[in-house]
Amino acid sequence: MRLRGVLPRLTTPNACWSCRGPVPAAEPFCPTCKAVQPPGQADHFSRLGFARTFDLDPKLVERRYFELQRKLHPDRFATRSPKERAVSQAQATSLNEAYETLMDPLRRAAYLLKLSGIETIGDGKTVADPALLMEAMEMREALAEARTPAEVDSVVSGARRDAEAATAQLSRDFASEDLEAAKKTTLRLTYLDKLIDDARARRLNVA
Amino acid sequence: MAYSEKVIDHYNNPRNVGSLDKGAEDVGTGLVGAPACGDVMKLQIKVSADGIIQDAKFKTFGCGSAIASSSLATEWIKGKSIDQAETIKNTEIAQHLALPPVKIHCSVLAEDAIKAAIADYRAKAGAKPKAAE
Repeated sequence: MRLRGVLPRLTTPNACWSCRGPVPAAEPFCPTCKAVQPPGQADHFSRLGFARTFDLDPKLVERRYFELQRKLHPDRFATRSPKERAVSQAQATSLNEAYETLMDPLRRAAYLLKLSGIETIGDGKTVADPALLMEAMEMREALAEARTPAEVDSVVSGARRDAEAATAQLSRDFASEDLEAAKKTTLRLTYLDKLIDDARARRLNVA
Repeated sequence: MAYSEKVIDHYNNPRNVGSLDKGAEDVGTGLVGAPACGDVMKLQIKVSADGIIQDAKFKTFGCGSAIASSSLATEWIKGKSIDQAETIKNTEIAQHLALPPVKIHCSVLAEDAIKAAIADYRAKAGAKPKAAE
């Protein structure tokens, strides 16, 4: 786990490893000597220059990612010192992780909840939400009974519509700061995404 | 990851797959899920007037360990009283099936499913539940 929680240190500048000058958090380069800095503990949102919000424009996420990626790609450091190569490698890894988390609605929602201290998918607990589980059971049964590619496709398109609706619901849940509702919707989306994944495998078997 | 022989046996020949009449007075239904893997498990019990589990059925969508855990759970609870069935621990299921640490939650799911089915039966029968765990 890369995330180590929200620390007050986030706002205080770190010292540059090369020139000891101050470096603001989430700043990939030293403002004084331009040396690449370790990724540190910035969260995925601030790493890409966003506030902690569910509603992100994927095009903007992509653009910021590629801008940073261009500056931080290990290839650019191929002729530098081993220290700089290692640091840029760590930056690139953190950047990819931030990008993948922010681009996927489910991962973004789970991460936002995690930043608020709410575990969703990784807590090993069982859920006993009857409506949610009944829906999951019915979708699973429909998928298990699907015998032709067309039948599988119909289960998938139903699940895709539901997943889109759940994503829209998450946007409202977070906008109204209803984290309990957001947790429920996140769990629902977990089941839907998993079903869509499994259906893809099933599609190959019935084809 | 290698599954134990017992897991493979339950996975290939699951015991007691199916459904009981959810609406019947003497049937208790437990529905639980593990969000981490998108697993969903339904476990049902048919209980006699003197509190003995006469029949148990399950339906699980999930990995091999989840299927084996629920299959084993139905085998174990059949013929037991609901009070006895309630004492089954996930650790016993995990140990019997030799589940690796990453699959322990599958046995937790089975234990929770047994408890949920008993709770549902008790609620229906209007019987006083035992002291909460």
